[in-house]
Amino acid sequence: MLDWLLVIAAVVCAYQVMRAQRLILATLWLASTSALVATLLYRLGAPEVAVMELSVGAGLVTVLFVFAFSIVGEVTLDPRGIVPRPLVWAMILAIILLMGWFILPLTNSQNPVVKVPFSTMLWDQRGLDVLAQIVLIFSGAIGLLGLLAEREIVVGRKPRPTVALTSGSSQPEVLDGRWQITANETSVEEN
Amino acid sequence: MAAFLQNPLNVFALGVLGLLGMGIYGLLITRNMIKMVAVLQILVKSAVLALVLAGKAGGNINLGQSLAATVIVSDTIVAVIGLALGVQIQRRFGTADLKEIATLKG
Amino acid sequence: MAAILILAIIGLPWLGAVCVWLVGDQRPRTQHYLAAGFSIAAGLAALVLLLFVSAETVIRIPAGNFFGDLTFVPDGLGAFLAAVATIVGCLAVIFSIDYMRGEEQLGRYYSFILFFIGAMAGLVLTSSLLFLFVFWEITALTSYALISFYNDDPKAVAGGIKALIITQVGGVGMLAGALAAYANTGSYEIGIFLEKAHTLPAATLSVIAFGFLIAAAAKSAQTPFHTWLPDAMEAPTPVSALIHAATMVNAGVYVLARFYPAFEDVPGWRTAVILVGSISALLAALMALVANDLKRVLAYSTISQLGYMVYAIGVGGVFASQFHLLSHSVFKALLFLAAGAVIHSVGTRDMRQMGGLGKDMPFTRSVFIIGGLALAGLPILNGFWSKELVLEAGLVDGPVWAFGLMVFVAGLTAFYTYRMTSMVFGGSSPAERHIHDAGQAMKASLGLLAIGTLTTWLLAGPFGQMLSTSLPAHQLHAVGTWVVVEEVVTAPATLLALGVIALGLAAWQWRKHLAGLGRLLGGFGQLATDGFGFESLNRGIVNATLKAADTIRPLQTGLLNWNVVGILGGLVVVLAWLAWSTGIGR
Repeated sequence: MLDWLLVIAAVVCAYQVMRAQRLILATLWLASTSALVATLLYRLGAPEVAVMELSVGAGLVTVLFVFAFSIVGEVTLDPRGIVPRPLVWAMILAIILLMGWFILPLTNSQNPVVKVPFSTMLWDQRGLDVLAQIVLIFSGAIGLLGLLAEREIVVGRKPRPTVALTSGSSQPEVLDGRWQITANETSVEEN
Repeated sequence: MAAFLQNPLNVFALGVLGLLGMGIYGLLITRNMIKMVAVLQILVKSAVLALVLAGKAGGNINLGQSLAATVIVSDTIVAVIGLALGVQIQRRFGTADLKEIATLKG
Repeated sequence: MAAILILAIIGLPWLGAVCVWLVGDQRPRTQHYLAAGFSIAAGLAALVLLLFVSAETVIRIPAGNFFGDLTFVPDGLGAFLAAVATIVGCLAVIFSIDYMRGEEQLGRYYSFILFFIGAMAGLVLTSSLLFLFVFWEITALTSYALISFYNDDPKAVAGGIKALIITQVGGVGMLAGALAAYANTGSYEIGIFLEKAHTLPAATLSVIAFGFLIAAAAKSAQTPFHTWLPDAMEAPTPVSALIHAATMVNAGVYVLARFYPAFEDVPGWRTAVILVGSISALLAALMALVANDLKRVLAYSTISQLGYMVYAIGVGGVFASQFHLLSHSVFKALLFLAAGAVIHSVGTRDMRQMGGLGKDMPFTRSVFIIGGLALAGLPILNGFWSKELVLEAGLVDGPVWAFGLMVFVAGLTAFYTYRMTSMVFGGSSPAERHIHDAGQAMKASLGLLAIGTLTTWLLAGPFGQMLSTSLPAHQLHAVGTWVVVEEVVTAPATLLALGVIALGLAAWQWRKHLAGLGRLLGGFGQLATDGFGFESLNRGIVNATLKAADTIRPLQTGLLNWNVVGILGGLVVVLAWLAWSTGIGR
């Protein structure tokens, strides 16, 4: 019974993510979806990944979103969708039915229960996965730094100081070091 | 129907399908790039649930957990990069509405 | 030992490519000498490898279940072509020291050339069909990058893209053949494929055979895929000498020679090969008669001589074709580099603006004449011996009409060679200009290639020996050099060919007397200048593709939601097909 409630609540929260007008509300609905999914995972018998899901989904992602729209502001207009509604319903129905066709029979399979503790499984048998995750985290961090750089990166030739000869002086005067088209500075009255 | 309800794992299967459906609805409807990242997160939750469910049904729940942990980490990185891109898009184009930023048209 | 040498031949140029790029464009002298050093080292390694030729797999690197093993076999065919590639490569790099002096972006230039040399050596030494395709594609990539080296010149970029597209279309034929071979024999190994070829169903073998023929024709610029080579002459001349005369275009001929035992019994294949070779030779020779751009004439002559090699394989003379490949690589590289020296000092490629250069550039004129005599097929030079072997093989084993055609083309070859030489070096020079002869590095490469042109025919015996011992599937019979000499000198084909060549030379010498005939053939000349309609065919195909692209342009809305609809639609199709085909039921 509890599981049914949890599932329905999770689906409702997920729906509310889409419907929310303000991004902060969407983020809160996302966090609650995370919490409910974490509980579901615990009920399935997977406490470790439930904790991971809770801390990452309800914690880290929420902070990320708040950070993101603290930079850019949070108003969304939520206009009409572009894809016509009947097509949307048709696609959802098709995919859910086909996926259900594949997934639902699997829950009936009778398999012997393998008792391998989680830490052994993760570090011994799936060690390469952990290594890949570490690499991924590093590249994600570097990517983030690169993407959020403040200064503009100008691609072009090295700027040379432009030289303009002002009439009367024998020394060329060096202007600032950017590419510029200098105006022709000959003074007319000094012929 | 009764047999269907007997098996305790079927609830979770329905949960997977429900979240999947919501995720797809979001993909097709959302017009804000930053909200799109949130929709992707919902799809990831459905995947995580499915992996652990498969692990439980196959008998080796810890294998399911390990794979689910990997998926959580990688999709969080995806969210990070996605948000960074969304922020940059909003800065460059002034809006995050995908109709305005459709420069890849034609 | 052979394993280390093979790794050196492929690895040293690639290492050199990275080093030259890392040195940076601020130090051009270092780049020049580094590139020369690495290429000379690879050339020496290739020469030493010739002593270790054998038919066994010396390197085997497993690359996973799907990709098979990366294997290298230093057999006669592979080692010889690797030696040609690396030696002509190092001579071209040495030539570039003078030719590219003062040019920008040398790092890009040298790294691509070195990358190409390593890939070409890998292509001929590997015995895995899949990795043959991989090296094939690497050579195509580097060729494109080098043709478009002057990437602010739209003609160069257009030429590069044309070369890339045409050779890639051919590459599809090769990939299809490789995958079909894998599907039917369970392995990518060339040796296994050659053994089991006769057990494959006839339809599959035909598909593979014609797929490889298309790939080889596209790569070696044979009809109907020959249009890319003349436009690829926008590349810097050492690149033209290396890639488009001596090595990459030989890859197609190499593939045909390597797989000949498997395909010789496929009905219609040999005739198709003979047709492709002889028609290319004829059309290219005709187009060379009317071209005015020096490098274009040489490009057309390359297509023509490759036609000879392809024709030789079609009639079954694998040794003759490879021997002609050796001679052609040497004298064509010589001609291209000499032309490069001329172009470098005159500043234009148009032959009508040259003339009388013989007085100002004596060394270049001498080596150009040596190359030209070899191209025309006059006695003593290596071109003569190999061309006569080809014609002999054609007379003995092939259809008579093809033989007659090839003899006629030999006459045409002599004609346009003499025309080219006299337009550039003969006659009187127009108004005064400042001409200097070739620089030191240029002279070094040219001199070595000229010596090669005079002497490589002496290798006929040992070369044949090497091929016959290490290529068991081909069943070649090797004979000594002097037997070959005797054979050629006493064959009737030789006399006939010499006669026609003399006719060709005489026709140019007394062209004023033949002016009437010239006017008669005037319309034909216009047809030749337009490329016999193949250029219009290319343009037509390009326009049709662009029009098709324009009609499906509205599908690309740029809106993410519609793209998601597309993705999910594909997912629905895949799931539905899976559900239907596996029939998962409750």
